[in-house]
Amino acid sequence: MRIKKTRRDFIWQTGGGFAGVALLDLLTRDGRVSANSILAPKKPHFAAKAKRAVFLFMNGAPSQVDTFDYKPELTKYNGQAYKGPLAVGSNGRPVGYLMQSPFEFKPRGKSGLLISDLFPHTSKFADDLCVIRSMYTDTAAHASGCLQMNTGSIFLGKPSAGAWVTYGLGTDNQSLPAFVVMTDPRGGPIGSASNWTAGYMPAAYQGTLFRSGAAPLLDLQPPAGVDDRTQRQSLDLLKQLNEEHLAARAEETELAARIQSYELAYRMQMEAAAVVDLSRETAATRERYGLDDRLTADFGRKCLMTRRLLEKGVRFVQLYSGGGHIEDTWDGHNDCITNHKLHAGETDKPIAALMEDLKATGLWDETLLLWGGEFGRTPTSEGVGKPGRDHDWHGFSMWLAGAGVKGGQAIGATDELGFAAVEERVHVSDLHATLLHLLGLDHTKLTYFYQGFNQRITGIRGEVVRKVLA
Amino acid sequence: MLLISVAGLAADFERDVRPLLARKCFGCHGAGLQKSHLRLDRRADMLRGGESGIPAVVPGKSADSLLIRYVSGTDPKLVMPPAGPRLTAAEIALLKEWIDEGARWPGEAETVAAKADPRLAHWAFHAPGKPAVPATRDAAWVRNPIDAFVLSKLEAKGWRPAARATDGDLLRRMYLDITGLPPTIAEQDAFRGDFEELARELLARGSYGERWARHWLDVVRYGDTNGYERDEIKPQVWKFRDYVIRSFNSDKPFDRFVMEQLAGDELPDANAETLLATGYARLGPWDDEPADPAEDRFDQLDDVLNTTAQGFLGLTLACARCHNHKFEPLTTKDYYGMIAVFNGLERPRNGRTELDRPIGTWAEIDRFNEREKKIAGLREAAKAEWAAAAGVDVKKLSKEQAKAMAEALGKLPVEEEVARLKRETADLPRGYFMEERSATVKPTHILIRGKATSPGPEVEPSVPAVLAKTQPTFAFAGTRTSGRRLGLARWIASRENPLTARVIVNRVWQWHFGEGIVRTANDFGVMGDKPSHEALIDWLAVWFMDNGWSLKKLHALILGSNTYRMARTGNAAYAAADPENRLLWRMPYRRLEAEAILDSALAVSGKLNPAMYGEFVYPKMQKEALEGSSDPGKIWKPFEEEKASRRAIYYIVKRSLMVPLLEVLDLCDTARPAAKRQTTSVAPQALQLFNGDFMNRQAKYFAERLRREAQGDAARIERAYRLALARRPRAGEREAMLRFLRTGSLEEMCRVILNLNEFAYAN
Repeated sequence: MRIKKTRRDFIWQTGGGFAGVALLDLLTRDGRVSANSILAPKKPHFAAKAKRAVFLFMNGAPSQVDTFDYKPELTKYNGQAYKGPLAVGSNGRPVGYLMQSPFEFKPRGKSGLLISDLFPHTSKFADDLCVIRSMYTDTAAHASGCLQMNTGSIFLGKPSAGAWVTYGLGTDNQSLPAFVVMTDPRGGPIGSASNWTAGYMPAAYQGTLFRSGAAPLLDLQPPAGVDDRTQRQSLDLLKQLNEEHLAARAEETELAARIQSYELAYRMQMEAAAVVDLSRETAATRERYGLDDRLTADFGRKCLMTRRLLEKGVRFVQLYSGGGHIEDTWDGHNDCITNHKLHAGETDKPIAALMEDLKATGLWDETLLLWGGEFGRTPTSEGVGKPGRDHDWHGFSMWLAGAGVKGGQAIGATDELGFAAVEERVHVSDLHATLLHLLGLDHTKLTYFYQGFNQRITGIRGEVVRKVLA
Repeated sequence: MLLISVAGLAADFERDVRPLLARKCFGCHGAGLQKSHLRLDRRADMLRGGESGIPAVVPGKSADSLLIRYVSGTDPKLVMPPAGPRLTAAEIALLKEWIDEGARWPGEAETVAAKADPRLAHWAFHAPGKPAVPATRDAAWVRNPIDAFVLSKLEAKGWRPAARATDGDLLRRMYLDITGLPPTIAEQDAFRGDFEELARELLARGSYGERWARHWLDVVRYGDTNGYERDEIKPQVWKFRDYVIRSFNSDKPFDRFVMEQLAGDELPDANAETLLATGYARLGPWDDEPADPAEDRFDQLDDVLNTTAQGFLGLTLACARCHNHKFEPLTTKDYYGMIAVFNGLERPRNGRTELDRPIGTWAEIDRFNEREKKIAGLREAAKAEWAAAAGVDVKKLSKEQAKAMAEALGKLPVEEEVARLKRETADLPRGYFMEERSATVKPTHILIRGKATSPGPEVEPSVPAVLAKTQPTFAFAGTRTSGRRLGLARWIASRENPLTARVIVNRVWQWHFGEGIVRTANDFGVMGDKPSHEALIDWLAVWFMDNGWSLKKLHALILGSNTYRMARTGNAAYAAADPENRLLWRMPYRRLEAEAILDSALAVSGKLNPAMYGEFVYPKMQKEALEGSSDPGKIWKPFEEEKASRRAIYYIVKRSLMVPLLEVLDLCDTARPAAKRQTTSVAPQALQLFNGDFMNRQAKYFAERLRREAQGDAARIERAYRLALARRPRAGEREAMLRFLRTGSLEEMCRVILNLNEFAYAN
């Protein structure tokens, strides 16, 4: 029963990985990563197609019955009271009658996957989408819901999925953050950075906010009045003095790593600036991503930057659609219909453009896409006589696409009205297990020793949803 | 109704019960296989239960027996047997009857001695004796017993400790270590080489508490806000931080410090200070809109239990919430026994709004509450009187009527009376802490699989059995509270407790040396790290208790050792054999914590605002850092620069938005007790330290200071080195700087100096 933390565990946790020492040695000789960079690339547990992932987070919780979960029965019972067994409504909000979706669902692609009119562009990729219609989660509140979708736990302080993936795989490009987060200009999600935190792991694994302006990263640019020549001169002086200091302490890898971090930061300044510079994009590209249309411009820029970040080897990108409060997110309490037209309108075209480009460049075969929010919305209206929908955590839809995913299918089902997942139920932890599996990581083995035991993103739960796998 | 067995024909074990158990249960819970570590083919095992830590059968009480719960399907998620036909109603009734009649099992002893558990022999579960100080061949190196323990291990390998650090290096090391600030030039000049005297002097400074309190705040998961959606500020919580600073500065005996935090309200001499200390239980994150309020109650208790178990005892007891600990000899009974200790605590609040409470002695608080009651009564009466005279219903006032009433009341004699009462009994300051509202506590049950909705057997308050041959007394109930926490506190803060002293001396060691003698500072269990110097940690623990649990005496002992005074010089041969420096053949390198880096920069630039204590400050923050917030316009109102240029311990710890510079420099987890700060080196740190506003402002002030205080480049370079690194520049360094200044500015040079490795890594 005596299980000791071995030196191997230690190396893994501090960044070495399974083949840690040898690999690190090799990389160090190549000069690619610093001697103890905890972000050095690591081998996955098993071979997998997906090398990178993009999480398209529809903040505020999209309604399943208006997007990917067609419910003809809802039309039949439209305007009638819900008489089922489930607790409806969150936080004491009023409960109205069952409300049909005003959006038309059509079979799309060869697979005939049913998708609503909200997504005319994404629908073109229906045969690539794997929709899970039977998602469920443990909470009806945005704060704990976002936390659970991102970190696997409704409690504060756990590492996010992006942090786990970065911990598990490291990153190929040390001059860019391994895990990039782009939020909505209207604000971040509730809980802010708790959603992309590294929790109890080193801060190096946390998501880095990437903005669309000239300085996408915090303190990326030299301070005002310092030109590049001065910046370089100062860095050269710093390097020279630090190296003299190191010469008498040659075995101190921490000191060496710190020297290197300044050089990486300097390179990051160039690389990150290049990622956000969209000035040389063709008119056709601008059109496809909707950069010149106010509705789609922001998410379009984010999707285009995502493509570039992926090309540069960034491991995990998370994009937020919607931010701030209520109707600025997908949280359609008052008028879910207008709300979803807006947010789907902002994101549908850019997402399709990203998918098209990933396919054109071949990155599609190495990139995993995940779309969805923290939970779903009720098939009933919120209160009587207004088209809002309340939170529904018993059942909702998400989709995956890209590397390793079997597209053109829908997994699981909600009940006839779309309230609760009833067939092939997929808990958030199952989704996380599947996400990691697609990236070559076994969620039961990707552990971090903390507070006396091996922590996992899935806690004591989590089953890989085999049907998702190609 | 045919289910009841025939009267007079008691359930016969051999004829009825054993065959049933054999058929339905023994396959998985018998001699061959014991799923969930449960065995049902022997009475003693049945009564002990499996990994849930709950007896499968409680003789005489079928309702409390898990066996009945599971076979009858009360819990839809766990029905036994898991496959094959379920038990019939008659079979269940038979088992119930057998249990209710005492679960007699002919031929089986009532209890069987449990198999000896080798884990019980674990070193840390037994009180330390005071080991003899070992002899060493080199007696000259031994300044105090610490050195003897360290040196004897080195000598056993034929090794020598590293040379002594230079006076200059040691001076800066001690300043940074004890106060978190570098020595000023005047202090460097005044130093005459007496390090004993220096240690005494530094430990007497207020800045000692400002540095060392932060270490303790890591352990007790300190935060100024609750986290989650609203991330509300905890009212008055900063007074807890000040309490910790004061406690370190006054060298409060650690046993007293423990008691105040756990049971400050239950101490015989409870006062404002000790009530603030009990804020300890309320420092964690709190979701004011929990997904499941019943679970949430136990999550909050778990937070207090986990912090107490790890923080004071170095135990991962929280792992025993749903089942017996998988690795440690800790059971669910141990866990819920400790939950019972805290189960009287309540969070003062009005819905989602947290409330603070007056602080003082209980007599002061009683007088104050009495005054408030009187004032409320007087005002109610006056209102009623006015309303009667005016002929309006006091409960249904219009806006105008309410205004008229308020005006009228202000002029009535009642307000004079109120003013008199307020003069007579002054207002009390307020604090943030949990409270017990009664001397009796509702019963605590073991929760089956940790579910709040599945209560199992009731438990009394207790401490983990592995640590106490006999349970301490919890009988301290007064008129206000149950006294249970006082019972726990007295036991934790006692010499009999095998862990408390060891755990704190190890933490202090870690904060001085970078690594503890046990490197898992929050885990002294069998899964924890093996101590590098077991005799030393025991000797220190006993010495510490013998010396009145005085932290300052412990610091002085450590600082006075030659072990502490070693240089950080490497040694290839030793490093090959002992790469982690477990034997302490040298002083290891370690980066200053985030706070010490920021504080040092302020000290060097001359802009450090030395004001101590008080409400938290909002430092200036890059506006881009607010972009990820759900409420970027309102969330952060930075203070003007001078007010914000305080030591970083006074920065607000806002759980949804940590100060980026602290966060990127590896500030600890604030949700759970943190054992240790991480040290990472990544590019975003360099970006913030080299390009960021804070460091560039300090570089600018540093340069202005140099221009003021010295004339000419050479003198300014000299002064810069002395201020930042407490040494003079070497010739090569001076040359490099002079060359740089031909084209570069003094500000640029200062920016480079604040970013030197040597600035963040003291020699």
